[in-house]
Amino acid sequence: MSEIVTLSLAERPAQVLIADCIAADRFAGLDAKAIAELPVIHGGRPETLGTFFKVRGGRSGVVRVEGELTRVAAIGAGMAGGELTIDGSVGRDLGLAMSGGRIDVRGHAGDNVGGARPGAARGMTGGEIIVRGNVGDEAGARMRRGMIAMTGNGGRGTGVGMIAGSVVVLGKTGPGAGRFLKRGSIVALGPIDRPATFRYACTYRPPHVGLLLRYLRSRAGVAVADRYVAGRYERYSGDLAEVGKGEILQWVGE
Amino acid sequence: MRINGVTIADTFAEAFTMRVARIVITGRTAKWAREAAIKLTGFATSVIGCKCEAGIERELPPADTPDGRPGISVLFFTMDKQSLPEQLIVRLGQTVLTCPTTACFDGLPDVPDRLTVGKALRVFGDGFQASKVIGGKRYWRLPVMEGEFLIEETFGMLKGVGGGNFLILAEDADAALAAAEAAVDAMTSLPGVILPFPGGVVRSGSKVGSKRYKNMVATTNDPFDPTLRAITESEVPKGVNSVLEIVLDGTDAPSIAAAMRAGIPAACRPGITTITAANFGGKLGPHHFHLRKILA
Repeated sequence: MSEIVTLSLAERPAQVLIADCIAADRFAGLDAKAIAELPVIHGGRPETLGTFFKVRGGRSGVVRVEGELTRVAAIGAGMAGGELTIDGSVGRDLGLAMSGGRIDVRGHAGDNVGGARPGAARGMTGGEIIVRGNVGDEAGARMRRGMIAMTGNGGRGTGVGMIAGSVVVLGKTGPGAGRFLKRGSIVALGPIDRPATFRYACTYRPPHVGLLLRYLRSRAGVAVADRYVAGRYERYSGDLAEVGKGEILQWVGE
Repeated sequence: MRINGVTIADTFAEAFTMRVARIVITGRTAKWAREAAIKLTGFATSVIGCKCEAGIERELPPADTPDGRPGISVLFFTMDKQSLPEQLIVRLGQTVLTCPTTACFDGLPDVPDRLTVGKALRVFGDGFQASKVIGGKRYWRLPVMEGEFLIEETFGMLKGVGGGNFLILAEDADAALAAAEAAVDAMTSLPGVILPFPGGVVRSGSKVGSKRYKNMVATTNDPFDPTLRAITESEVPKGVNSVLEIVLDGTDAPSIAAAMRAGIPAACRPGITTITAANFGGKLGPHHFHLRKILA
């Protein structure tokens, strides 16, 4: 047993590498050899994780992944616990349908962060994903519970079809955010292109946003200025084409 | 034992086990957090008539509260497990929920015994309420006319200690009051302790039951009433003309002992003859605070 499991990208994949075996809770019961033998799919062909990553340590729920990982998809898929830190940018499907634990990306992330598997009704159902950079399209798609925060920009369709949970975008949020959102919150600290099916409710200081941003600051070390923590937000209810119990909260000032 | 010429009686204060919750109330300003706390802890001096005992533990600076706003920590006591959530639901719903700008948080987050107080209060939202899980804790957002009221879903419950006490025996009422005020000042804001009575002071200490009225659970503590010295089995020494009591409830016995250690010497002032304590021969409760041991 080691304090941390470290995966270092040894060979950059030539094609998309689906590495949905990388999950902090899964590694907690495996030694380095067993981790290296976990299956991955590279360009549609089965391979092992050890083909691409050098594995150090084992039997730990604290995992660090290092390298240029933009072609590595589905890291943290189905993760239920533990802590997964990624030093570098990652590909799509990060934290796909995860249910617990925390993923912290020190870089950018691709599409469908915390989203649902193809055809599934629910995306992530718990846990936290923090991306210290930009995120691709449809982050938090159909998420049921949990929190996604990104310090950069969010792509198109952020939070599309959200059932509940929170998505926090410190940068700019792309068009189509919150379409078909049932419940849940999209907190936009920067500009956001709202769908027409969201209706303005009021401008106020939502107490839970301050709490959430303070949590991000203290627990994850995300730099959030006081003007956001104690600031005023416009509340837009929606998606009124759905049950309309969700919200977009857009920061408007101190 | 004597302190500043005041006799410390060789006796003990007898206290009993209670259930306790710590409520942290925050507000836009300290004023509004305090307004809510004052209302919440109103009419909560004694379980005899109020069904609960409550008081302000201390003021919290913004750095010490969950939402970074000024706050007040309140301790809330009842005699049993069942009545603590009942009292909290009723009182928080009528005092903190109604108070502008406030939010309400659990002050005992690591305690396993949980009371679903916020979960019960959520129905005030009439279906428009929403929950948020932040850092593993669930909070309820209740829409109100002002904006939103935020309350944590569960609150921790501990076994605490109620009924710690000491009596200040004075040559006159003014000296008794001055000594009691000094003691309260010394004990205010000590962690884990509240003084549930008005200004922290009791003038009407009670004995269990009644000599005359069968349905009374508590009546005047006639052995310590100076006006009855001539007609009862009085414990009021010669030269004493006024007695005041300080009652303390705490999250644990050491907290109460520490407060008594601070408060009793402060009460040993000119015009005070004796500091003693109320007990029932060890039959009322398991917590015994021997004055001389505490002060040794």
